[in-house]
Amino acid sequence: MKATSAELQTRVKDLFEDGTISHFIGYETGSDSLRVAPCFLEGSQEIGRLVWNPVCANNLAKYLLDFKNVPGRVGIMVKGCDSRSVVELLKENQIDRDRVFIVGVPCSGIVDREKLLQVMGISPTQVVAVQDEGDSFLVTLTDGEQRVDKEKVLRDECLVCRYPNPPVYDVLTGETVSRLPWVGDDYSMVKEQEALSLEEKATYWNRELSQCIRCYACRNICPVCTCSECIFDKKAPRWISKANDLSENLVYHLIRAFHVAGRCVDCGECERACPMNIPLRRLNKKVEKDMLELFNYTAGIDVEQQPPLTTYRVDDLDEFM
Amino acid sequence: MQKTKEIQTEFKPKILAFCCNWCAYAGADLAGVSRFQMPTDVRVIRVMCSGRVPPELVIRALANGLDGVMVLGCHPGDCHYSEGNYLTRRRAHILKRLLTYIGIEPERFQLRWVSASEGAKFSAVVKEVTDQITALGPNRWAEKR
Amino acid sequence: MATPRIGAFICHCGTNIGGIVNVPEVVEYAKGLPYVAHAEANLYTCSEEGISSIKRAIEQYDLNRVVVASCTPRTHQPLFRSACADAGLNPYLFEFVNIREHCSWIHREHHQEATEKAKELVKMGVAKARWLEAQQEFESDIYPAGMVIGGGIAGMSAALNLANQGFEVHLVEKEPGLGGRLLRLNRIFTIDKDPRELVENIVKAVGNHPRIRVHMPASVKAVSGYIGNFDVSVDEDGQETSFKVGVIIVATGAQVLKPELYGYGESANVLTQLDLEEKLKDGELGKFQNVVMINCVGARIPERPYCSRVCCMTAIKNAALMKEINPEAKVYLLYRDLMTYGVEFEQYYRDAKEAGVRFIRYTLDALPRVSGTESVEAVKVYDELMDMEIELPCDLLVLATPLIPNDDNEELSRMLKASTGDGGFFLEAHVKLRPVEFAMDGVYVAGTCRWPADIRESIAQGYAAASEAMIPLRQGLVKVEAITAVVDPRICKGCGTCTLVCPFEAAGLKECEIRGLEGKIVSEVNAALCKGCGLCAAACPNGAIQQRGFTDVELMSMVNAMSGKR
Repeated sequence: MKATSAELQTRVKDLFEDGTISHFIGYETGSDSLRVAPCFLEGSQEIGRLVWNPVCANNLAKYLLDFKNVPGRVGIMVKGCDSRSVVELLKENQIDRDRVFIVGVPCSGIVDREKLLQVMGISPTQVVAVQDEGDSFLVTLTDGEQRVDKEKVLRDECLVCRYPNPPVYDVLTGETVSRLPWVGDDYSMVKEQEALSLEEKATYWNRELSQCIRCYACRNICPVCTCSECIFDKKAPRWISKANDLSENLVYHLIRAFHVAGRCVDCGECERACPMNIPLRRLNKKVEKDMLELFNYTAGIDVEQQPPLTTYRVDDLDEFM
Repeated sequence: MQKTKEIQTEFKPKILAFCCNWCAYAGADLAGVSRFQMPTDVRVIRVMCSGRVPPELVIRALANGLDGVMVLGCHPGDCHYSEGNYLTRRRAHILKRLLTYIGIEPERFQLRWVSASEGAKFSAVVKEVTDQITALGPNRWAEKR
Repeated sequence: MATPRIGAFICHCGTNIGGIVNVPEVVEYAKGLPYVAHAEANLYTCSEEGISSIKRAIEQYDLNRVVVASCTPRTHQPLFRSACADAGLNPYLFEFVNIREHCSWIHREHHQEATEKAKELVKMGVAKARWLEAQQEFESDIYPAGMVIGGGIAGMSAALNLANQGFEVHLVEKEPGLGGRLLRLNRIFTIDKDPRELVENIVKAVGNHPRIRVHMPASVKAVSGYIGNFDVSVDEDGQETSFKVGVIIVATGAQVLKPELYGYGESANVLTQLDLEEKLKDGELGKFQNVVMINCVGARIPERPYCSRVCCMTAIKNAALMKEINPEAKVYLLYRDLMTYGVEFEQYYRDAKEAGVRFIRYTLDALPRVSGTESVEAVKVYDELMDMEIELPCDLLVLATPLIPNDDNEELSRMLKASTGDGGFFLEAHVKLRPVEFAMDGVYVAGTCRWPADIRESIAQGYAAASEAMIPLRQGLVKVEAITAVVDPRICKGCGTCTLVCPFEAAGLKECEIRGLEGKIVSEVNAALCKGCGLCAAACPNGAIQQRGFTDVELMSMVNAMSGKR
């Protein structure tokens, strides 16, 4: 990403001052140099809080829901993946297009906190800043600088990213990204899983999903989980019991995978938020792959494109004679 | 020394069949009227259209321990509500692949097309699916605790 | 909501259920189910006695839900619902459990398992009944007119019947004249009359009737709506006409199979029975000396297993007629079976034999063979009764072929949501109990488009279909079954998924007007357009939209009951 925090701050300040926006959703420094937190501004007074750097992992689209009934126009900065989530929210009328001002920020990869710490063999307190340098990150430490190969420390979803440039925006801040050299087969992870035997598949998911503590962080962080009364909170009918056993965990994750089917853009937030390191992307990416193969559908690209499970073709695959 | 006799209880599966009112349920009725004899393991739940069956309910049924879930609807193009079964079909594809992906035998969820005049087909489907699921053995989802 | 008090009525249905399922055991089991306040057995729940029993029990045991376990809801649901209504119970607090077609009749050799299955089905039905809620039906006016598609004898009979009863009728006929196939026939058997006499009077009556509007030549292009409110668009000789009707009667007839057997289409002296009728009528049949008729050509074979009902009599009639025209001619009728049912037909057959027609029986595995150079000259047949092959000289070969569905049946079926059955003929709602109506409300059927029928049957069916069609027309009101979808605006997030999946555009987004939710964009269902399919309910991510009578809670309760969960 070529835009600096300063450039972003200037952009947003102008938007406030010419009255285009009344609020802004962005990033500010988090609890340490490898974290950011969502930042909500109501004017340009505290514009210095805004940051834009390779640590900005959060998908801010989620917070648009909080502004649904707030008068005025809310500005938001979105990476490629985030803007695709915004497209999905627009498709479902969760916010009006004319009440959102989208500041698109082309992104060439977000650093994975755990990978960076492990590859560099450091602790978070040693890190001062991380900068984008094309094919590598320049990490400023308390005692010097180090360059590290991007491919080694990028977040998993960035390694398969096909949309570094936001497909939907009102204004772009930063130069468009021309190529991401590391992107190969985006479904290799899913294919690897598909190749396992039925028994191996069951063993894998039973192991992974028994770790789930049903904290619902994945649901809460997901930008397309927008139901104020979630199906899992309902008592009538009760879709899953409160019991935190593998059987109910499986039901939860399968149903959620179905609910985000055709809406998940693989922003990776669910996996990032999961306290138990469950490979949630590996589950949702499977549905994404099937949507593409069966229905030629990609989420978050075109507001007019109808969700694939609300439509059909007469010549859809029919294995069920 | 006494020989202990092992009592082999043959596994009888529990299979749920959602049948749409206009085609599959009527086909099942016709099978009954024609007295086609079938295995006794299937229970029918009537819905107006196969499109009423949410994939979540199939997942829930399997998680409850039912050995197999079938959805039976009108042949594509013949849906009483013109489009319902097309949507059912799309949902079923995604669901079947997802279930297989997490290690559930794909035969435990089946979508079939049975028209109102296909009493024989209904009977054949019941027999076929019962055989398939019996061969798979009990659904071990409920044991994932 | 008051505590559910469910009454369970388990039917013996004579020995149909009781002979296989241990009904008393099921009754005892039902008594132990949650919320069941009363359970009893009936010999025939649908009988006068059974119905009274239900009404009595509702009062005596203060029941607020009724479950009947008997046959299929597709027959008696309306009956039991009105029994409940008569006893003061909302008819939607009733649940039907099928333990006959889906249990006793298909598990005849497994009484114990059938009984266990019946118990489980009752358990599921009771579990659902517990959640049922009283519903009000949406009422809609009936447009006092009918459309009859097809101007043959069945269609004209139906049209006249309807019109004479005081209703407007649109009669749509695709040919340029009324009368159908009758006009092409030479003679009608047993009364030996010229069909033109019969038909002309009826055609005149139809043409002159002030309430019948004939669209001809015309074909139906589109039909939308529902019983009482069908919008029809017709292509009338290049022009589009639209009109509204309350009921539709399908009487489009059938066509005669033109076979690819026995030299038909190649030799000039091979005809179908219909071809023969036409030639006789137009006086175009040449001289003949040796007539051979073959029955069941292309019928009662694996690809087309049915008997076409009218061809045996047609063949016998024409065979006798051949003898009448040329008493010196040899007339042979090769048959597999003779379907001359009843008194008159059997007599006709005997008379034909006495007139000199020779009947030879052949079998499916030894079909007759024809030979000849430019035309058929001889027919070889293995006479089963004489156990020898004989060769018959032949200068006129007449084939009796079956009636087959019209080519446009599929398209019409789709337009009207009228089912077709085996072989492509239209399929009635119930093989025995509802012979002239479709499962789709407000659409009826008569004549050969449903199944091969003779003239009397076609006329009778035309009258019957018109009678059935008149029931809603006379009532003037149609009640839409209360299984439509309803949105809870508190839960609805206005995502619009339901509006996208609805095939009838019955769900739409709008601003909520409920106190506390003003301005919230939520979905709303137009009950007049909702057909109760439930697609919306399955697509909704958080259960905001539910289908009455098939809610998530109700369906889940049945799944839980079956899996032994609470």
